[in-house]
Amino acid sequence: MLLSAKMGKAYVVTCAMVSAMVIVVILGFLIANSWQAFLRVGWGLLDAVWNPPKGQFGIVSMVYGSFAVTVIALSIALPLGLATAVFTSEMLSVSMRVYVKSFLELLAGIPSIVYGLMGVAFLSVFVQGAFDLQSGRTLLTGGILLALMVLPTVITLCDDAMHHIPMSYREAARGLGLYPYEVIKDVVLPAAKMDILGAVLLALGRVLGETMAVMLVIGSIDKIPTPFWNVLTPGQTMTSKLGREMAEAAFGSLHFEVMIGMALILLVFVLFFTVVSLTYFYNPERRLYE
Amino acid sequence: MRLWGVILLLGALLLGCGKHEAVMVSGSTTVLPIVSKAADQFQITSPNVSVIVNAGGSGVGIKQVGEGKVDVGMASRDLTALEKETYADMHLKVFVLARDAVVPVISSEVYDAGIRALTLAQIGQIYRGEIANWKTLGGPDREILVIDKEKSRGTRHVFMEKVLGDKEGDAPGADLVLGSNNEEQTAIVQSDAAIGMLSHAWLNDDVKGVAIIADGKTIAPTLENIVNGSFPITRNLLIVTQGEPVGLVKQFVDYLLSTEGQKIVKDSGYVAVR
Repeated sequence: MLLSAKMGKAYVVTCAMVSAMVIVVILGFLIANSWQAFLRVGWGLLDAVWNPPKGQFGIVSMVYGSFAVTVIALSIALPLGLATAVFTSEMLSVSMRVYVKSFLELLAGIPSIVYGLMGVAFLSVFVQGAFDLQSGRTLLTGGILLALMVLPTVITLCDDAMHHIPMSYREAARGLGLYPYEVIKDVVLPAAKMDILGAVLLALGRVLGETMAVMLVIGSIDKIPTPFWNVLTPGQTMTSKLGREMAEAAFGSLHFEVMIGMALILLVFVLFFTVVSLTYFYNPERRLYE
Repeated sequence: MRLWGVILLLGALLLGCGKHEAVMVSGSTTVLPIVSKAADQFQITSPNVSVIVNAGGSGVGIKQVGEGKVDVGMASRDLTALEKETYADMHLKVFVLARDAVVPVISSEVYDAGIRALTLAQIGQIYRGEIANWKTLGGPDREILVIDKEKSRGTRHVFMEKVLGDKEGDAPGADLVLGSNNEEQTAIVQSDAAIGMLSHAWLNDDVKGVAIIADGKTIAPTLENIVNGSFPITRNLLIVTQGEPVGLVKQFVDYLLSTEGQKIVKDSGYVAVR
């Protein structure tokens, strides 16, 4: 009995360590393969021009593109996803909720290349027509497509967050004479805040890291639009650049190392956002339920 | 009992794999149609061999054969000095498989509106961003959607060498940067004011090739003009192996260069070389 308990504990701890090691190994690999690039290119990374055969490695336009599509995607997906989650968690009957939720979760299982091809065939054509553009392959198209891709994640996590709030909270609130919308606005949403933040972070990670679908609809040109908020022009994200050029960069070349460096920057961004939002928002005492 | 069955089945699968040998090919999407058709034919005559063909572009093909990830690389351009230097130890051997032309292509709407021929200098001005509207060239009043390709693509090397005078030159006038022939074709079809570059074999009714005006003569992108060498942007389509090919790889390369292989070249819309 004692032995099996010990073995169980050892097994669980080992599994946790393996998971933690993965991120350490990836970070280590990225740093080992890119530190020379940072030394050799240095401030050249902040240049606007990217032309590997000529030794120019400016990544500013790609960093800009990644931020632009992230802002667009999250500002579409969050309100939409949160509202849908309020609907599934607070307004649907429990038996219906399971069906509706599973159906929405199916969307998360569609491979990203399928989203990408649909984006090329329909969404980019739609954007081209709607805004009377030369080409529908724009930063906006990429942002919308990403919003659709992270929507199921946002919905299902926000829904879980709200559904986990004990019924007694709602009953107490209603007992105090609050209208149903006040119960949601003043009791359920604030109580679920921490887990909604978790959903946002997961969505953010997916948006920053998504490659295939973005690559097909973004236009892949290394330019920052003028003026810079004009997202109706083609652009490039860090991931679309990696997707297009990783395979052709010779292993160990400066080109290859700069690309790995870009992947490192991407990972650091995600880590940065996670750490900052956890430090600022995470407050265990405000988490009303466990 | 059931477990033994599973183990036996797995064993049989493994044995099956052992007998089955594979030739891995990757690279240029211009050469791809020839090689994938040839692979199908080759596997009919040699049923125990599978030939696995992947796309990726000339740069990818040369890199992967140079690093030993595939047996045969496809390229629609010559190796660059840097590539020759990087993979010098591999003694890459290059075979000319076919001849092809890179044709400046425009949306059918622009073609129908009267743009049938351009000079290389005009195309250069478009890619440098000096000409931005079809009206300047006598076409409709529409801004030109300039479609560029990824830097390592064979089609771009050959095209830009003639158009910009530098195969790896920058094209500040470009609006989109795409990869494979398929992607380029789709983008041109979806636009009514696009210009791009495509292999001759990829032209169709929606994607029209324009003639090139050189020395006062208008040279249309026809097979005949490619064969007699008068069309200005032509190139060899190559297959690349590590050293002198042996065994299965040699059989497959020999097949590509044989009369049957060269017939596939012609059927795919390219010019046979043997």
